[in-house]
Amino acid sequence: MILEAKDLNYYYQDGEQRRYILKDTSVSFEKGKFYTILGQSGSGKTTLLSLLSALDSPHSGEVLFNQEDIKKIGYEKYRRNNIGIIFQNYNLIPTFTAVENVLIPMSITENELPEDSKTVAYNLLDYIGIVKNKADRPVNKLSGGEQQRVAIARALATNVELILADEPTGNLDEEMEQEIIDIFKKLAHEHGKCVIVVTHSNEIALQSDQAFLLKKGVLASYE
Amino acid sequence: MNFIKRGFLGITRKKGKSLILLAVILILGSLISGAISIQQATSNVEKSVKERLGAAATLELDWEEYDKLSEEEMMNVELENIGVDLIKQIGGLSYVKYYDYSVSTMLGSESLEAYRGEMEEDFIHEGPSMDFTLKGINYAPVLDFEEQKGKLVDGRVFTQEEVDNGTSVAVISKKLAEKNNLNVGDTFTFVNVVYTYDEETGEEDIAASRDVVLEVIGLFESQFIKEDAETASDGGMMDWMDMDYQNTVYVPNEIVLNENKYQFEEYMKTDEEYAEMMEGEEEASFEYYTPMFVLNSPEDSEAFEEEVLPLLPDYYTVVSATDQYDSIAGPMESMSKLSKYVLIAAVIATVLITGLVVLLFLRDRKRELGIYLSLGESRGRVVGQILIEVMVVAFIGITLSLFSGNFIASQVSDTMMKADNNTSNEDVYYYSELQINLTTDDVMDSYEVSLNSSYILVFYGIGLLTILISTVIPLVYIVRLNPKKILM
Repeated sequence: MILEAKDLNYYYQDGEQRRYILKDTSVSFEKGKFYTILGQSGSGKTTLLSLLSALDSPHSGEVLFNQEDIKKIGYEKYRRNNIGIIFQNYNLIPTFTAVENVLIPMSITENELPEDSKTVAYNLLDYIGIVKNKADRPVNKLSGGEQQRVAIARALATNVELILADEPTGNLDEEMEQEIIDIFKKLAHEHGKCVIVVTHSNEIALQSDQAFLLKKGVLASYE
Repeated sequence: MNFIKRGFLGITRKKGKSLILLAVILILGSLISGAISIQQATSNVEKSVKERLGAAATLELDWEEYDKLSEEEMMNVELENIGVDLIKQIGGLSYVKYYDYSVSTMLGSESLEAYRGEMEEDFIHEGPSMDFTLKGINYAPVLDFEEQKGKLVDGRVFTQEEVDNGTSVAVISKKLAEKNNLNVGDTFTFVNVVYTYDEETGEEDIAASRDVVLEVIGLFESQFIKEDAETASDGGMMDWMDMDYQNTVYVPNEIVLNENKYQFEEYMKTDEEYAEMMEGEEEASFEYYTPMFVLNSPEDSEAFEEEVLPLLPDYYTVVSATDQYDSIAGPMESMSKLSKYVLIAAVIATVLITGLVVLLFLRDRKRELGIYLSLGESRGRVVGQILIEVMVVAFIGITLSLFSGNFIASQVSDTMMKADNNTSNEDVYYYSELQINLTTDDVMDSYEVSLNSSYILVFYGIGLLTILISTVIPLVYIVRLNPKKILM
């Protein structure tokens, strides 16, 4: 088990009342599998992903990475060395080129990486489908699908085992959506990574190894 | 692609924003730089003028206080003399480097011709006149020489023994000696004449006279006057002052006291009314000493004054050479005040405007900061990256404004001083016991706006600190949030 959430609670305080987004949520994930967390808008799936990726902290409960509480690892350190995050709106640095965006986490991580990081970045982009002449363009000159590929390459750049993606295909057309899903499946099944994707799409959920449904703050298996 | 490289790339990739920030810093920096330039220049002038004025102080009647009295009060007021004991007590204060107290008198001579300088033809010589000032001294090395008012060029100064015994020796000016073919070791004679005055006829008669024979032991040259005579615009005034000093003869106090006593006693013999009035008066009534204290530094003047004032008899005050600065540095003071207000306003404006510009600059970058944090970058490095971007631009802006501000300050102060000087009254010349002959023009001439290391350091310090504060405050406000809140 690479990642485990135990009794996570997250709420908004509304006067004296608490509005729970997640209530006693527990879930676990293994390496080499492609997971999806399905839910309507406002169901709390992005919040769950934020807690799993240490972008936010729960009010109670814990997240264990390789059996170690990520709070003990340190949220910053956990994000830096253990996970790759992909956002719906890509969150790339617009003034930098594609390859520069991939190089950023490589300069931040403490993981051991090959010395020639630029070649590694170009190769990663090429693997994801961004050829060299596009890799040298500022990212805001690339299409939505290309930008998401750059975001995936950036998530993989630090050689992590855990990839977390929040609605990664939300801004893409169907053809591009399938291409991205295929990349995730390949990362899980061929490279042994654990890929967790938050989505509201049934089609994507059906292609995952295991899907969860989040409804009113409660997580359940989705068949 | 570490945070330092990202910082520099941020500057070059966002040229428009960097240029806007540069322009804002340049404009506001020029204001700050200009104001600091003027402040520094005026404070340098104050320092150098006060140094020129010297660290001397004397005790004088406080005419301002005295004039406040009604006529009746003036009649009843008994003004005490400053006694030797009090002078010695003040002379013992820690601020005093050395001090002297002297009595003076005017004497004439039949054998000695007074030095007239350029005005030789304006004088008609008729018998003995009172052309010579006998300046008594108690401080053997002669305080005027220690203070570079005069310089001994031949012979020697007094010994303490000569001063204590009132030996008939004198130090005279070289020009007076040359005019009368006197050398060190020669003797010359003054005449102490007591006149009677007939009120009805208006005629003067000699009631008594005696010779005062003195031996020349040293010759001095005037230093103080010579320096300024070349540059002074009002040559006439300087010539009078020069002439007066060249005809000054330094002797031990005792000599002057004896001559004053002789005059007093002989005069009383001729005027019964006066003799009756003065009956019972102490000898001290003609022992009117002028004390002179040389302080360790001009900066000690205020503390010295504070300590001495309570010791003085009523209606006396301390007059320091540096007091004159306030009277002659009018345009300088008004400019210094103005620049102080501009400096305060400019610093406040810089903090607000730069803070606002940086805040807008950061608002655009907020998402980017969130992305770095979501990738695990430390808050310190995120702050560091933005600081590099802002501070590099700020450094360039401040460096440019150092020169532009200095140039503006020089232009503005030139215009202001010309305008202020044109509207002010004629130059005032000061001539007192302290022998200060500085004018407003002298003060203005010593004003110079220039770049010096302390100014550069102060400016970089204030400038960079201002930008740093205006950047760090909004930056810390953003990065203290968790990445989810920033990215939402």
